[in-house]
Amino acid sequence: MADSPPNVRLNLANTPENVVLVREMLSGVGEAVELSPSDLNDVRTAVTEACNNVVLHAYEGDPGPLEIELYLAGQSLGVLVRDHGIGLSAESMSLETDAGGIGLHVIQTLTQTVEFAAGEERGTDVWMWFNAPQVPPHAPPHLDGDQAQTLALSGVPTTTICIAPISLARTILPRLMITLAAHAHFSTDRISDAQLLADALVEHAQAAISGDKLSIDVTVELRDLELHISPLNVGRAQQLIEQSELGGLNGVIAQLTDRHRVVSSGAHETLTLGLSDPR
Amino acid sequence: MSVAIATHSLHIDRGTAEDLDHLFAQWQDRRDPTAREALVKRFMPLTRSLARRYDRSSEPFDDLLQVASVGLLKALDRFDPGRGHSFPSFAVPTILGEMRRYFRDCGWSVHVPRGDQERALKVRDAQETLSSEHGHAPTVSQLSQYLELETEQVIDALQATQAYESLSLDAPRPGGEDDTITFGDGMGSEDERYELVELDATIVAAIRHIPARERAMLHMRFVEDLTQTEIAARVKISQMQVSRLLRRSLDQLRALTRDTSEV
Repeated sequence: MADSPPNVRLNLANTPENVVLVREMLSGVGEAVELSPSDLNDVRTAVTEACNNVVLHAYEGDPGPLEIELYLAGQSLGVLVRDHGIGLSAESMSLETDAGGIGLHVIQTLTQTVEFAAGEERGTDVWMWFNAPQVPPHAPPHLDGDQAQTLALSGVPTTTICIAPISLARTILPRLMITLAAHAHFSTDRISDAQLLADALVEHAQAAISGDKLSIDVTVELRDLELHISPLNVGRAQQLIEQSELGGLNGVIAQLTDRHRVVSSGAHETLTLGLSDPR
Repeated sequence: MSVAIATHSLHIDRGTAEDLDHLFAQWQDRRDPTAREALVKRFMPLTRSLARRYDRSSEPFDDLLQVASVGLLKALDRFDPGRGHSFPSFAVPTILGEMRRYFRDCGWSVHVPRGDQERALKVRDAQETLSSEHGHAPTVSQLSQYLELETEQVIDALQATQAYESLSLDAPRPGGEDDTITFGDGMGSEDERYELVELDATIVAAIRHIPARERAMLHMRFVEDLTQTEIAARVKISQMQVSRLLRRSLDQLRALTRDTSEV
């Protein structure tokens, strides 16, 4: 339905906590494109309904992926909520039944257009478009067509965040980092550090990445966050750590994180940053 | 705004389609108030569930429920059972429309900043209380339990706090380059410790523009590696203020170093 790739992509597990993450992302986008609070509330409410459906029903109570894509183009804001679960039945998609239909009525009321489509193999795509006159008619730079490089990390659910252009991350990434740090049970001290780290990454990522998009895989464990930032240009990961100046202080990324490592794979590097809060 | 909803008991909790058709006929054709009360009672759970969807806004839930109830009453008046649609499919857009109109007309412009700010202040105070009780800064779940707020509301408050430049500080707000505020509280004699000697010439030039107190906080955080709570205890302000001041100083420095490099 969308002609161009998304501006924001989140690949998440279908947990209730991650619905909060989606809502925070939407708030960040709302701030970036200056949506009115009331329009933002409509977007958040409709998208929440679609996400709740994935959390509660799509996998019949089992874990499964929740994928979000956000598009800014043509004075509209589009959101795709995708699952790979059991799929909506024709009956529940008709919007005329009571069973499970209230959420669908809510989505239908709050969106400019909405489309429910069967996924490629299984699952459901819910496409929602909202009027957003503040969004310029021409699409800004967006994510390339390539899929996010999702890491398979020892069974720990990974959250993938892709944002383009990187300037859009300025209002989104700090919110996401606060939320992820809260999910990791960080103290508010360390949550502030996570927020500063997000600021530093947004400030310096541009110089280390070819292209105008930021891709981060995050694993959340008790009192620990690990960020994998890729693909970086060769030699730039170490430079990003050493020269990350925030407000004149050098090496802020190194100071705010507990560990870091650089892994090269051919033409690219992945920078891994670890934050913990041992208290 | 207030809406009187009769709640006394009627015997129709979950009526059949025929019951509902009958009730709608009773109300719409004959203006029978008991039929309307029965319909309100039947569809109040739906109304409540829709109001709850906006419950994370800064409006009190009771106000949201009242607005949603106005929407229900309008839907009861306008619904035409003869068209073959279910009542919920007609009522949901009507009720949500009423709530959205309320937010647009009078809710957001007046209440949102105040509601958010009040919550941010509550979270800030709770952080201080819990920090001194536990000896370290609290987690978001501890704050949400303590304040009986949802996790998301606490996260939003933490985010919002960074934006509120207007929150007054315990000390006068630091000014420009001529600002000579010392730390007071036993810290003034140690000013020389806080020279940021490790920084290069550009930064040193820029950092002179940062008020002394904030300069010291930068040093404590990044050179001495103190936590924000430890800095807060030392400077005798709250951790939230330390967080905000650090972020602001870094923004300021960033702007200053940019200006310098552009010259």
